[in-house]
Amino acid sequence: MTEPRAAGTIYDLGYQRYAGPRLGRNSAIANLIGYSFRAAFGIGRGPKAKLLPMIVSGVVFLPAIVQVAVASATGRPELVNYANQLNFTAFLLALFVAVQAPELVVTEKQQGVLSLYLSRPMTATDYAMSKMFALSGAMLLITLGPQLFMFFGKVLLSPTPWTLIKSEYPLLGPIIGGTMMTSIFVAAIGLSISSLAVRRAQATASVIAIFLVLPAASGIIRTVATGSVRKYILLANPILVISGFTNWLFDVQARRRAVITRLDLPGQAYLYLMIGVTVVGVATLVWRYRRQNA
Amino acid sequence: MSLISARELTKRYPGVTALDALTVDLEPGIIGFVGANGAGKSTFIRILLGLLPQTSGTVSVLGFDSQKDALELRQFVGYMPEHDCLPLDVSGTDFVTHMGGMSGLPFAAARERAAEMLRHVGLYEERYRLIGSYSTGMKQRVKLAQALVHDPRLLLLDEPTNGLDPAGREEMLELVMRTGREFGIAVMVTSHLLGEIERVCDHLLAIDNGKLHYSGPVAAFTQQTQHLVLELDDDVPAFADRLRHAGLEVSKHGYELHIAVAGDEMYDTVRDIAAELEVPIGRMEVTRHRLQELFAQMQHD
Repeated sequence: MTEPRAAGTIYDLGYQRYAGPRLGRNSAIANLIGYSFRAAFGIGRGPKAKLLPMIVSGVVFLPAIVQVAVASATGRPELVNYANQLNFTAFLLALFVAVQAPELVVTEKQQGVLSLYLSRPMTATDYAMSKMFALSGAMLLITLGPQLFMFFGKVLLSPTPWTLIKSEYPLLGPIIGGTMMTSIFVAAIGLSISSLAVRRAQATASVIAIFLVLPAASGIIRTVATGSVRKYILLANPILVISGFTNWLFDVQARRRAVITRLDLPGQAYLYLMIGVTVVGVATLVWRYRRQNA
Repeated sequence: MSLISARELTKRYPGVTALDALTVDLEPGIIGFVGANGAGKSTFIRILLGLLPQTSGTVSVLGFDSQKDALELRQFVGYMPEHDCLPLDVSGTDFVTHMGGMSGLPFAAARERAAEMLRHVGLYEERYRLIGSYSTGMKQRVKLAQALVHDPRLLLLDEPTNGLDPAGREEMLELVMRTGREFGIAVMVTSHLLGEIERVCDHLLAIDNGKLHYSGPVAAFTQQTQHLVLELDDDVPAFADRLRHAGLEVSKHGYELHIAVAGDEMYDTVRDIAAELEVPIGRMEVTRHRLQELFAQMQHD
């Protein structure tokens, strides 16, 4: 029989040594990816940090919901257009990355947390790549999520789900591949720009500039330029590059008067351009942290 | 096995030699690490953590090569930087748990030890609040807790009392002493206040211009640096001359004379000179130089 008082007694056991397993580098990397992924949505942070990511995460589903709803009301499943979804939400993706990429890297550098991470069992490259993984993963959630919703919405609302799933499932490849490539591309731009910035606001402004000012500037230059400059300056617009890529992926023909039609590039060109920008972005990010460490 | 063993450790930056052929062996205990600003303290700490490659020489920490085995080594080292290093919009308990995981602890163990360490440094209900709402003293405690969460064998503390009020300093020093004595964790602590080092540490490591200046028991060093301060009303230069004549090391600071402590006969000499010159002594006190002054003086010599 236990003493009745024992239940309410607090024992000071003093300092306890830790004799359990130490999981080392891989565990540290997994931890940083998980923590940063949650931070991208403001989870485990104050209420202000949740505001924007939560709004964006909700709003990106709106075009998907509307498309599925209209398609089901009119009985025309072809109205669900995966390529359009990315075009509709490109601005939101840019906004998300402009606010959350600085949150993941600039804030940690400013607050000095980076020096604690680098004194843990991980290298500077591990740190940079973990951030890249975490932000790409967060972007994937808000790009792939709505498209999967569209896919299953289309299937489930169809009078003949089984027939539809058989004709529709080859699209899962482009859906997953396209959103993955887009997520990595946008994350690489956001993180590389942020890693070069000193302040958060400066990083956010620079990323916004890439996605909003650059397209506008390329439009203006286009009106005065001639020849091939007039044509290829359009590629300075990352959102247009994403559109070109997804149109090719889903074999969508842009409207005849759209600028992208005038560019008249083979679809793969957009993919290669995105891969190129991503590689440069990741290399910049890694270089920045390796140098920080030296 | 030595705790830290450096052999001819040299670090050169373009135009500056931060560490100059430093050879030293340190045993577990509480080690005070002192040196003027720019003496090479941070460089040494960064090399110990494997954050910076040395130009030449070797250093092993806990038996690990600090360069080649850095990732392995860091699982057993806790580091508390001098500067701010905490996120503001995360709670103390979440952050320390996360840092436990970052050091290789499984999640359940990290959470349990985070709670234990925060209690240990004296944070109770506050640990669920966001760090941004903490006072400087509470933040320093969280910094210490995150350095202890993975039960390191060596704790590197860089100016842990910086920015604290006198009461906060006392508490932090108490924690450092308990960590070293009760927990049995080796501690290396930097401070620019010799008084703090003297109270807390048993071993002193002093570097100056990247060179080893002293490594040994604290008591032996503080004796070397003790000074007798004389405040005189008059005749200061004459008094100083007589003292020098008697073979004592004297420096003049306005109406004060600082005499390097050199045995008990020194007091008799002072008394005799005062009687001879008929100069009243306003104040007489044995003090220790602040390290900053000490190093400034060494550079003069």
